[in-house]
Order: sequence, then structure tokens, then C-alpha cells
Amino acid sequence: MTEKMLLIRGNLHRTKGQVIAEILLILLAAGMMNLWLMLSLDYRQNFDRVHKKLNGEHVTLCIAGAEEQMQRDIADILEKEKRTQEFSIDDAMYIPGGIEYNGGETTTSFVLLKKEDALNRSIGKIELVEESEYTEGVYLPMIYKTGEITVGKKVSLTIGSKKMTYQVCGFFNSVMTGSHNCGMCEILLTEKTYQELEEKGYAPQSTLVSVRIADKSESENFETMLNHKVSEKYPLLSTISNSYALVSQSRYISQMICSGVVSAMAFFVLMIVLVVIASNIRNDIQENMKNLGVWKGLGYQSRQLIGSFLLQFLGITVLAALVGIALSYSLFPGVNDMMVSQTGIPYEVHFLPIPLLITLTVLWGTVAVTVWFSCGRIRKITPIDALRQGVQTHNFKRNYVPLDQTRLPLHAALSMKTTLTERKHNVTVWITMWMVSLIMVFSGLMLENVIVDMTPFMELVVGESTDSCININTEAEETFLREMEKDDRVEKVYLYHSQTVEHIGGAELVAIFSDDFSKVNNQKVVIEGRFPEFENEAAVAVKYARENGWNIGDEIRLGEGKKEENYIISGFTQISNNLGRDCILTREGYERLSKPGNLSYYLNLSEDVEIDEFNQEISRRFAEDVNRTLNVLEVVNGTSAVYISLMEVIVAAILLLSVLIILFVLYLLARTILNKKKKEYGVLKALGFTTAQLIFQTALSFMPTVILSTVTGLIVSSWVINPLTAVFLRNIGIVKCTFYVPVGFTAAAGIWVIVFAFAAACLLSWRIKKTVPRVLLANEL
Amino acid sequence: MKKTCVEAENLSKSFSSGGNLQHVLKNIDLELYQGDFTVIMGASGAGKSTLLYALSGMDTPSLGKISFGGNIISDLDQDGLAVFRRKHCGFVFQQIYLIDGMSVMDNVLAAGLLISKDKKAVIQRAKELFQAVDLPEETQRKFPAQLSGGEAQRVGIVRGLINSPEVLFADEPTGALNSKTGLDVLDTLTKFNEQGQSVVMVTHDTRSARRGNRILYLKDGRILGECDLGRYVHGDKQRHEKLSAFLTEMGW
Repeated sequence: MTEKMLLIRGNLHRTKGQVIAEILLILLAAGMMNLWLMLSLDYRQNFDRVHKKLNGEHVTLCIAGAEEQMQRDIADILEKEKRTQEFSIDDAMYIPGGIEYNGGETTTSFVLLKKEDALNRSIGKIELVEESEYTEGVYLPMIYKTGEITVGKKVSLTIGSKKMTYQVCGFFNSVMTGSHNCGMCEILLTEKTYQELEEKGYAPQSTLVSVRIADKSESENFETMLNHKVSEKYPLLSTISNSYALVSQSRYISQMICSGVVSAMAFFVLMIVLVVIASNIRNDIQENMKNLGVWKGLGYQSRQLIGSFLLQFLGITVLAALVGIALSYSLFPGVNDMMVSQTGIPYEVHFLPIPLLITLTVLWGTVAVTVWFSCGRIRKITPIDALRQGVQTHNFKRNYVPLDQTRLPLHAALSMKTTLTERKHNVTVWITMWMVSLIMVFSGLMLENVIVDMTPFMELVVGESTDSCININTEAEETFLREMEKDDRVEKVYLYHSQTVEHIGGAELVAIFSDDFSKVNNQKVVIEGRFPEFENEAAVAVKYARENGWNIGDEIRLGEGKKEENYIISGFTQISNNLGRDCILTREGYERLSKPGNLSYYLNLSEDVEIDEFNQEISRRFAEDVNRTLNVLEVVNGTSAVYISLMEVIVAAILLLSVLIILFVLYLLARTILNKKKKEYGVLKALGFTTAQLIFQTALSFMPTVILSTVTGLIVSSWVINPLTAVFLRNIGIVKCTFYVPVGFTAAAGIWVIVFAFAAACLLSWRIKKTVPRVLLANEL
Repeated sequence: MKKTCVEAENLSKSFSSGGNLQHVLKNIDLELYQGDFTVIMGASGAGKSTLLYALSGMDTPSLGKISFGGNIISDLDQDGLAVFRRKHCGFVFQQIYLIDGMSVMDNVLAAGLLISKDKKAVIQRAKELFQAVDLPEETQRKFPAQLSGGEAQRVGIVRGLINSPEVLFADEPTGALNSKTGLDVLDTLTKFNEQGQSVVMVTHDTRSARRGNRILYLKDGRILGECDLGRYVHGDKQRHEKLSAFLTEMGW
């Protein structure tokens, strides 16, 4: 070990700057890898921890009715079901509504409970996170705690078709009903406020059923069964439900996106680390050939010399990885705040040994393999060859860019010579710039499709979007349509209604139906095949179809209540809002199962129309026949704000990261070239080359590879970015992305990267200034 | 009347080493003349190479003034000196210092094209010089590692002369060569000097020193004495004796 320490000390002394840059790169890779592992492993487990702590239910069902007989019947169903572990049936009010949040209105189905009742529930417990002494008002889920909504402030809630304003008394945590992403969202009301709302009759008396089952993996199946049995017995009562499987995913969409991006970045940086280490070792061996010859001459064996490299790099890796992991812990509270504002579930940052161990193991393993293979040349060197300057460094078969033949100016020609002789550097530059290009294209994609114009992203997340949605009773449909067609404020009106159906033997699916799919704004909902045209056709969520191994043309059986029918799959859909649990039917197709009592019509309005005013006017005009109106545009804005803020942070972080990567890699390459060419620079300076000319030449020598790799990287990345993004979004039901790749941004990013790389290379080559011709005299080479 | 090409006044050079100031050149006054083959001799550590590099603008003096063709160069910064060197000086090094990754021709053209935009003329000049030093065209396409020591130093001389410098500075040009190839190199330098090229050469080899017409002897950073040998004539025994006597007098 002592002899290895001697060799390591010699190596470290020679390559201080290089070691620092390597440490920084490993630190970045380790930090991101640990962050990713913490997000992907523990962050999701936090849901289970909170679920356990609050004795969370596995299936929640809310029924718009509170008759005692019905509640007894439901209790009977649950008691007879073997899978039931425990359940709770409580009075509540249930109504579709919305909350003004994040600059828009977020819609959901509200389950309104008396605060005291909610706190006393045995399952699906509520945890008060923030309280106050206010006696009148509402307690909101943690997810709505923002700068605008705090204790003591007023919050505007839409309850049914009524706008209500309440004082915020506090915030609570509820694992299964604590977010609009859960399908239903609990709001706690103080006793007085609850009574007042009850008296006004804006929200119907309802029943909240919470069930814990023995095997949580059965949650979706259990939900389907419960829905089926309740709707069989009470077909006229509307219900809403969710399951552990759905909520545990839907509350973590942002976390999944973030973790996907961080994992990709960690992978890219790790790749660059390995390429840089391999390149540095090869250069080290070349530069240090004489010393290696001396060591071998003194009796050191190849394995001892390789062992010293291994020890050195593994030591650096552990040191840098530990610092990187510590850095990820210092960043995690910030990331956590961002994530909690999306999940609504508080998370306590704590030490996680498993991500640490995985990070260390992966880095150690990959670095060890890279060092081992890169040191292979040491085995081939004999002491005498090494002492005689070892293996030839240049390919004498070819004199690249002969100065007497080339038309290039002198400095460009000399730069080109360096470019062509330093092939290993070119490989490193190439890999780095490809990674950076991919990052740039991804940033452009997110910038254009999420931050600047969120339509493409929202089409994926929300599915269909329009200006207004009016839900009317079926009996009023004809009059409504007649009037809308006469109304010149309405540009387009079309049926777009969703109901829950059951895939027989499978999960609950959101069934969307329309009578004319050509009017639908988002034609990209069907990503393969086509919309259904006949009553026996259905387009099915691609994620669900793949889980079941279905192809287009296969037959599936759907049901609602007692009715079941077969449908032929006409295409595959992709709407992440339903997490890959949806299908599309024609209106006639749905009516084979059930006649809907109300229908949702989507309306595209002229640009100058005030949507809220229009909705209010329609509500007044159709009075009892309008069940609900919705400013869809506002909802989309509200939902998108969450993703926009997330993407802004991600894009800023990855752009900063790419700047750091370019700097580190170019520093390492420039350093290698400068060391290798110290003598050459001395000679050229003696011949009359100025420092500026040599810096320019050195920086310029990187540029052909930088330009070529950036341009090809951007082109290739533009091709692969959509499928690659789909890989990261597959957990939320996305298998095909059709984002617009912004050509302008991509080109500008390419130019910026090239100019930045040149400027960085000039700056990093500044050390040439220190090389004076006197080194030739002083024998300091 | 000889024309002065380089003039040094009160030239001193010191180096800091481990906190101690080492005075390598001490108040040297010196004139170099056009067309001369000046040889700087002295024991190891006398400051020969330091003087050569200071006179050629390769290094800056700590004190004193150096003028080259009437222009003061001792005040120039590194880039200013680089521009001066490329126009007025040629160099031949003991370790030759050809650039490994470039062919022989490119090594020469890299220097030549630095000041001339007339590529054809530079190539023509290079070819003439290669012919003059007896390096055939096939050698011009080779890389430095493929050359013998003598061939490499002759390439070094061609590179030093490509820009037709006012003075060719040679630092121990035969130091790394065997006696036969060393002689070839000295013959080459002598030939160019005979054609009017001013040469300043540092050596501690008396056989090399005999090629000069003016010998300067340096000791402890000062010029101890100088000797005028007159023009070199092959086999001139008197010349040899005169140099020996001078060196003996200097304590060689």
C-alpha cells in the first residue's frame, strides 16, 4: 500500500487542476444521482408512510345521497366482502366545484365535511398542519397553501354553480382526498359554516365511504366492484370514487417528471465523467511515460501501477461523491418545497442510506471499470520503451493539413492540425456536445411547449381543452344546441362528456363520448388508429391497452350498472389526466350501456367574449337545466401554472448544468493540450507567435469538433427528443409525445453553445501566457 | 567600418531562486556587428545562453538597454518581443525543438508564413534553403522523429533562416550531436555566414568556436575578454593556436 501511496502522491501532485475538475464533475453526477434516487425511492414511499400514519383508506366513494337505508346497504355490501378490513361511513356534502388557485380556477369534486367530524374519523384521518382561532370558515388541503392563500385570508370557492368566499382557518393533510389530483378533494368547514351551507342547499347531502382492504394492490378492482354494486342498487345517484392505485400515482405526477429529468441528467453527467476520466488517464500515461518506465525499471509491476490509478480515482470518487451527496441534501429542502406544492403531502427531509449506497456503488463500479480499461496500455509498456519516450504519439503516415498545400490561413491551418491529431479529445468533445445538445433541445422543447405556449403540453396532460363547458340536462339538449348555433359569440359547440364505465374483469375507466369527433380541438388524443365511428367501437388508453396486451381490432367488454357490451378497439388514446385509464366511445356507443341524465357541451367562444360572463348568462337563461358551467380556459391556466413553474426551475437548472459541463470538460481538454504542447508553445513563441495567436489557435482547434458535434447533436436530438421524453413520462400514461421542436431556439442555442465553447476555450487557454520562450533555455519542460 | 546590429548597455539579468537573487549577467556593454560570426564562450553557468536570449529578445533583461538595428527592444512586452523576434531573429537550439506533429516542411513554413502572406515565395525560399543544407524533398515530407540528429538540426537552421533574419542566434547547436553531424551543422552555419548572414553562437566547444571571427569570453556574468580570429579558413593552424592562447589567458 505504501508504494501505491507514493505513486498516487506523484500523480496528484502533477495533475492538481485536473483532479479538481474531475472532483467537481463526479460531485455533480453524485449529487444528481442521489437526488434522483431520493425522489424516486423515498419520495414515493412517503405516500405510504403518510397513508399508514393517517390510517388511509384504499378506496373512497362519495354518493350524492344520505338516506339511512342506502348507508345500511353499503355497510352490508362492505361487511359481506371478504377483502374489506375496515370501513367508515360518514355524512358529508358532495358537489363539483373549483378553487381559485395559482392564478386560475382549479376544478374538482368537493367533499365538504364538518371539521370536528373529519377529525374524529377512524380511517382516512385528517392531520391539521396549521390552525387558527377563527371560528368561521374553511380548512383547506395543504396543496392550496400558497402566497395568496394563507390563514386569515379569504378564498373563493365555486360550489356547484355558486361562488362562495370563505375565511381560511387552517390547512390539513389528507392522503386520499387532499388534492384536486385525487379525483375528489375534501374541504373542512367549521360547524357554523357547514350549517349555513347546508341550509342554503347549494350542495346535496351525501355519504362518504372510506374502506381499507387487506391487499392494497386490489384497490382498483375493489373500487370497480363497489361502484358496480352501488350503482346497481341506486342507479340514479351520482357517485365519485378513487383508489389507492390512482391517488398514489396522480399526486406524484410532478415528482415523476422531475425525477425523470434528474435521472437523465445524472446519467448524462456520469457518462461525461467516465469519458473524461478515460481520456485523462490515457493522456496521463502518454505524458508520464518516462516516469512509468522508471517505476517499471525499479521493479514495479503493471498491476501495482494500475492499482495506484485505481486507488487514486476510487479515492477521488468517494470523496467527491460524498460531497455531492451532501450537496444534494442541501438542495433537497428547496426541491422538497417545490414538490410539496405539487403533491400537497408534507415530506420531512431525512438521511437516506439506500440512495447513498446505490450512488456510491454505481459511481465506484463505473469508475473502476473505466480506470481498469483505460490503464490497459500500462501492461504493454516495457521499461526501455517508456524511457525512450514510449510509444509514438503521432501517426506519421499522414501530415494533416500540409501548410504548403492548404488554402487555409496559417492559424486556421495550425488549429486544424491540432484538431486532426488529437482524436481522443475529439471523442470527448463529441460525446460532451451531444449530451449538451440533447439538454438544449429538451430545454427548448419545454420552453416552447410548456413555458411559452403550454397548449401542446396541456393537450397531453388535460386532453381536450376549450373555452367553456356547460353541463345541461338531457331534456334541454335540443333547445340548448339551437340557441348556441344562433349565438354568434359561439364559434363551435360539441358534445364532450365523460362518465365512468367498468372494463369487465379490469379497472374503472373514464369513458369520454361525443357525437362528432371531427369537432374536437385536440385531435392528438388518439395517437394510433382512429376515433370510434360506430357504436360498437372504442378507442382505449394506450397504457391500459399495453398492460392488457391489446391490439387495434381486439374486442373488449365494458359495462355500467347491470349492462355490459362488447366493443372493438379502433385506436389508442393518450390523456395523462386519467393516468392511462380511459376510453373514447361514440355517443351511441355509450348509450348502449346507459342513457346519460346530463351532458357536457364544450364551446369555443370568440376571442372578445368574457367566458365567466357568458357562463353566467347561460346559467340564467337555462336556469334549472344547466347543472354546471366551467371556465375551461381558467382551469387549464390554473393547472398549467403548476407545470410551468416546475419546468422553469428544471430548465434553469439544466441550462446551468450544461454551462458547468462545458466549462469542466473544456478545462480538462485545454489543460491536457497545454501540458502536452508546452514545449511546442515555447518554440512557437520563440519563433514569434504571440500569446493571443496561440490562445486563438488552441481555442480554434476545438471548434471543428464542437461545431460538427453540436450541429449533428442538435439534429439527432431533435429527432429523438419526443420518444425520449415519452420514456420519462410513461408513468403518467404518455407513450408518444408530439411536442413541437422549436427550430429557432434550437439554432440559437446551437450558436450560443458554439460561441460559449469558443470563449470558454480562449479563457481556459489563458495559461499559455505563462509559457515564455525562456523555458527552452531553462530546460523547464 | 563594421555596422552595429545589436547593442547592449549596462545589461544585467538576475533570477530569484529560493528567495535568493542570483545575478547571472552583470552590467554588460556589448556591440554585435553585421556579418560577424560571433561566438560566446565560457564555462557552465557563466551566463552564455542567458546573454544570447537577452540579446535576441527571447528574454527581458532585469536592467540595462538593448537596441536592435537602432530600436530599443528591452522595453517591449512579451507580445512586442514576439513580433520583434519573428521579423529580425532566427534561432537554432541545442535540443533542436522541432514540432513533433508537423512535417519538416511544415515546421519551416509555420515560421515563414507568420510574417509573409506570399506563400509561394515562402515555399520557394524554404526549398532553396533545404537545397542549401542538402535536405532532399523526401526528407521535407518526413516528421522530426524520422530524422537523424544532424538532419533535424539542419531543418532547425532552415527554420531559423526562413524569414531572412538580421541575426541567427544559435544556442549550442552541436551540443546534442555526434562529432560528424556536428561538423556538418557547423559547415552549414559557416556557409550562411560567408554569404553575409550574421550569426551569434553560444558554445563551450573550441572546435565549434573556431568557426567564429569574434570570440567573446564570459565569466561570472561579465565579458572577461574578446578575441578577433578573422575570417574562418579551413585547416588554418594559426587560428587554432590564437584561440587556444586566448582561452588559456581567460582561464579556460
